[in-house]
Amino acid sequence: MTTHKAFSLLILLFAPVFVFSAAAVQAATEQKYIRTVENYVVPDVTLVNQNGLKVRLRTLLSSDKPVLVDFIFTTCTTICPVLSANFSNFQRKLGPESSKVQLVSISIDPEHDTPEAMKSYLENRYTAKPGWDFLTGSKKDIDLVIKAFDAYSQNKMAHLPLILLRSMTDNRWIRIYGLIGTAELIREYQKALK
Amino acid sequence: MIKVFHMPEIFLFRQSSMVLLLLLAVFLTDTAMAENKQPALIAGVSHEVALRLGERMYREGILPSGEPMQAVVEGDIPVDGKMFSCVSCHQRSGMGSYEGRVITLPINSTNLYRPLSPMGDLSRSARDKMPQWLLTGDTRPAYTDETLALVLRAGGDPGGRTINDIMPRYFLNDRDMEIMIYYLKNLSPELSPGVNATTLHLATVITEDVSRQDREAMLLPLQRYAEGWGKSRHLELRAKKGPFTDEIMNKGYRKLRLSVWDLKGQPESWKSQLEEYYRNDPVFALLGGISTGEWGPIHTFCEDHKIPAILPVTDFPVISDSDWYTLYFSKGLYQEGEAAAKYLRRLEHIPDTVSVVQVFRNNRSGLALSNAFRKTWEGFAHPSPANRMLGQDEVITPDLWRKLTALHKDSIMLLWLDAKDLSAVGSIAEVLDRPKMVFASSSLLGEKLYSLPDSVRSFFYITYPYRLPQEEKRYKTTTETWLKNNQIPVTNLKTQSKMYFISSLLTTPLTMIQSNYYRDYFLELLDMMEDQTYTIAIYPRLSFGPGQRYASKGCYIVQLGNGPQPELIPRSDWVIY
Repeated sequence: MTTHKAFSLLILLFAPVFVFSAAAVQAATEQKYIRTVENYVVPDVTLVNQNGLKVRLRTLLSSDKPVLVDFIFTTCTTICPVLSANFSNFQRKLGPESSKVQLVSISIDPEHDTPEAMKSYLENRYTAKPGWDFLTGSKKDIDLVIKAFDAYSQNKMAHLPLILLRSMTDNRWIRIYGLIGTAELIREYQKALK
Repeated sequence: MIKVFHMPEIFLFRQSSMVLLLLLAVFLTDTAMAENKQPALIAGVSHEVALRLGERMYREGILPSGEPMQAVVEGDIPVDGKMFSCVSCHQRSGMGSYEGRVITLPINSTNLYRPLSPMGDLSRSARDKMPQWLLTGDTRPAYTDETLALVLRAGGDPGGRTINDIMPRYFLNDRDMEIMIYYLKNLSPELSPGVNATTLHLATVITEDVSRQDREAMLLPLQRYAEGWGKSRHLELRAKKGPFTDEIMNKGYRKLRLSVWDLKGQPESWKSQLEEYYRNDPVFALLGGISTGEWGPIHTFCEDHKIPAILPVTDFPVISDSDWYTLYFSKGLYQEGEAAAKYLRRLEHIPDTVSVVQVFRNNRSGLALSNAFRKTWEGFAHPSPANRMLGQDEVITPDLWRKLTALHKDSIMLLWLDAKDLSAVGSIAEVLDRPKMVFASSSLLGEKLYSLPDSVRSFFYITYPYRLPQEEKRYKTTTETWLKNNQIPVTNLKTQSKMYFISSLLTTPLTMIQSNYYRDYFLELLDMMEDQTYTIAIYPRLSFGPGQRYASKGCYIVQLGNGPQPELIPRSDWVIY
């Protein structure tokens, strides 16, 4: 707390807007997410999946299948459980078609998220079906990936609620910022196919 | 009950401002207990059973029936208790969290049954200092049992608003709801022991096997920190006389009183000594502490009494996925055995069927390293390693090395032995048909690591659970400067840098906690800390997260360069998967 004065100023600036104002709640309710289309260059790094296997990220993300990506960690409190529950429900809703979609969760806490922790997270908590991979790797490589997708936060507790979908038409990325339901995710997925 | 605020896109926060918002959120707490006139039975069971069942719902997402709780988030995503439960966002203490631009406000018993207002329990003088526009915020009426049930099921709060969809809407029958509400009414109902209006009482534990020099290396930095906490920044005065923001930031300021709990005799007797210390003078938390032997009895004492123990100096932490109250720097020696197994598993030229032999003594170090390796190695579906446990008085002669080497020439050898036992290890190099890889622990070798004979360096691999020496100089300077400024001579920089780290780590949680001195909340604030790389000299990184209890996650495998002052050459990344 060395920047005490700056903190005080921030209280004045932000507290009434976010903590005390019902309007903030209302605004968030009305605009659930922000959708943009982005060009990202996937770094050429090799990560490790939940089975301990090395995975070249570029290859995985340029799969012939539709690809959805999110950034999570296994001990996350609020955002990741909802993102993961959505991926789980997305697979369930798609039924047999889910095997034709590649879901990729990338750890933003790679030193803690070992393959064993990730496997347990996918299988025991979210009943993941084949086609959902969880990747970890060196902090340096993971930071490269997160920055390449404009998803970097210095503190993992302040990370962004993001889902990225690779468009099947031009390989650009549809960026969903904010938490959404499965029906909305499926709508975005179907748009990405066209 | 629960306010979860999405941050609009326009405001992208750095961690500091998120921290502030949480600070404000918890500031809304007061100390008055909710009216609590309960019938003899809750949902047909005793109060004790109701609390146990409620805790299971809150923490594990399991209904009294044994089935997972069911709910919906974000409008249409079904979730069950295995995926997440109340504790995920609201935390054990009920004091909430901030994460991913979502603030989860406190729901402990003192907050639910009173109105939630922008002013919280600010003093009259502080209110007078606040700008009027800040006092016009929304107020949420106090919850009743009925409105609490409504918000849990349908998301409507007593003020008529609908809370954010990230809060699950739970499918709870009336009986389960009654149990849940009873649990919430009893969640963090009063401050933890060890704190009063002026002072936060802490203790540090030292076992009698610790040398005087090491004792002081651990103790003096902590004492200086406790004596100086808040004084240079006049936190107490600012809380009373500063602008209202100072009251918010510092109203929970307490002086720190650090007791020393010396433990004597065998570890079996430590429990009763700790109980007596605690009975006579309860503490809020343990800070630091040091032992050359086991830490288990102190760990168990803390679990039993729910006392946080922050970063003791020990090579023998208790290894557990579920214990809660002790935060360690690392898994100690266990981490080195684990790293050796992970490294070997990743070597493509090593077949899965390779035979491995571990040589160690039947002592705490040998057992910690060999057990860690065995458990990790077997976890990768490899055959169990062979163990060669040396007798109590068995002397390791050059001849024994030659025999062992010849016997295990096709194996990988792990020598979990100290420098004295490895003094004649050069004999291995004399055997032509010897193992291709030999492993040892830098923690057991100590400074003698650098004296390993040149002849073995090409096939000796060392577990090294610290920042590499060639990279630590600039980080050491920070610790050394702090020690100098506090008139503490440098005697054991490893231990002293750990204690300096504790002092730098604590400032944020001790500020953010304000007056909410709940032990679980204190730990939760530590869990939310950002990864640390600069304030710790001896580790490349210390990281935290909800429920994570070993802050350093890595261990290099290194080899020695040539010459009398060899460089450590890393053969692995810091974290090996």
